[in-house]
Amino acid sequence: MGRGEHWTAGQPFCGARAWNEVLERFLRRGWTMTKEACVIKGNRHGLMLSVSEEASFAEILGQLREKLSAHRDFFQGAVVRLHSSAAFLSEDRVDDLAAVVHEYGMTLDRTMTLEDQRPQKQQRQKVPEFNLDDTKLIRRTIRSGQSIHYSGNVVVMGDVNAGSEIVCSGDILILGSLRGVAHAGAEGNAKAVVFAFRLEPTQLRIAHYISRAPDEKGPKPTGPELAQVVDNLIQIRPYGRFVKR
Amino acid sequence: MGEAIVITSGKGGVGKTTTTANLGTGLAHNKHKICLVDADIGLRNLDVVLGLENRIVYDLVDVVEGRCRLRQALIKDKRYDSLFLLPAAQTKEKDAVSPEQMAELMGTLKSEFDFIIVDCPAGIEQGFKNAISGADRAVIVTTPEVSAVRDADRIIGLLEAAEVYDPQLIINRLRPDMVRRGDMMDIQDIIDILAIPLVGVVPDDESIIVSSNRGEPVVLDQRSRPGQAYRNIVRRLEGLEVPFMDLEQKTVMHRLRTLFGIGGKR
Repeated sequence: MGRGEHWTAGQPFCGARAWNEVLERFLRRGWTMTKEACVIKGNRHGLMLSVSEEASFAEILGQLREKLSAHRDFFQGAVVRLHSSAAFLSEDRVDDLAAVVHEYGMTLDRTMTLEDQRPQKQQRQKVPEFNLDDTKLIRRTIRSGQSIHYSGNVVVMGDVNAGSEIVCSGDILILGSLRGVAHAGAEGNAKAVVFAFRLEPTQLRIAHYISRAPDEKGPKPTGPELAQVVDNLIQIRPYGRFVKR
Repeated sequence: MGEAIVITSGKGGVGKTTTTANLGTGLAHNKHKICLVDADIGLRNLDVVLGLENRIVYDLVDVVEGRCRLRQALIKDKRYDSLFLLPAAQTKEKDAVSPEQMAELMGTLKSEFDFIIVDCPAGIEQGFKNAISGADRAVIVTTPEVSAVRDADRIIGLLEAAEVYDPQLIINRLRPDMVRRGDMMDIQDIIDILAIPLVGVVPDDESIIVSSNRGEPVVLDQRSRPGQAYRNIVRRLEGLEVPFMDLEQKTVMHRLRTLFGIGGKR
């Protein structure tokens, strides 16, 4: 029961206020992307400025100033990439944003990324954005020192040996053994998957999630397996109904 | 028209030079006209393994740079009249020769010999690029170590990129006792990773070191197990089907155990 024991009938939990505050702050941290008017966050590609479509533009500008002045030194000289839909931000508004950003010693990269990493509610039902049209088929073994970079899905008919890497924005299917490094959804698609007949990679990456092989040698996989992100972790499970484990 | 075979591995110390010397000697023993080319410029030792060190006057770089004729640089073997060595330069750098010059040299040699066997330097830089230019096929030497297999894999990839296709594999220095204990990668593991045809397995044996130091290739030693392995590889290179030898050491106890069916198999 733990904390529940402090609750007595009709009497509010003594620490309820403080607790609520913590909870609220925690929740807000998880939802900054949608709740706040503008958010600056760093990822592998550098700084990103994302603006909420629910807030007014004045609100966005105000909050941007507030944030930049709070960490003036930190942002000095940085390049920040705009992360918003083109429909929401007109050319003039982008100019305004750029001016504010410039005031604080930064530059704005105007290439807009349309898709938000966290899909909006109404977009959730959409079919996956990757289709078979942008799939690269490789009919050979990928050996140590070789790397495949592709914008789309990658299918390898052969092995992917240790010391090699496959990086793509979509899914990775290996019809053979995967022993090297595979990075699916490299442009931020956390729904990307990695599939292999024998999944024993040096390292697996999906979007910004990374996992590596355990240091101790485990049992070798006996059948095809699929890796995907489940609850913020890369999870590997046998693939197909008839797999014996 | 002869055929140029490059012996390569990526990693150093896996036995490229020993393999080159033994395969060359073995092929010459079977009446082929052979030229061994030491492409390891600056670190030559194929001449030492063959026991021809003291006969070198001109070398590969001299030939390429036109300081001597090819005939003058070729050293005839002590034992076989049909075996020649084109030694590497010891005092030059690896970039003293270009891949184009090597390819041209290979072309000339191919018109005179049945097989040209090129001993490739370790690494994947200029020396490697020189050694594989003009090669018709490649034999990859590896040892049952993860690092050697990894390098072999890299080399196979680079050979594909250089359009030298269908390499064959020699697994060198295998120790059946260690494999049986699970302390060494076994043949199947290596083939699974590299996925190229196996042309031979050479067991680890002290006789190799002894023969290398003496300058007498082990392939001529009829009683030596690695010698037998090399003789088999030679015949496979000639295009014959030779069954793989049983690498298990047959001690009396072992034979008895197999006879009674107690733990004879691994």
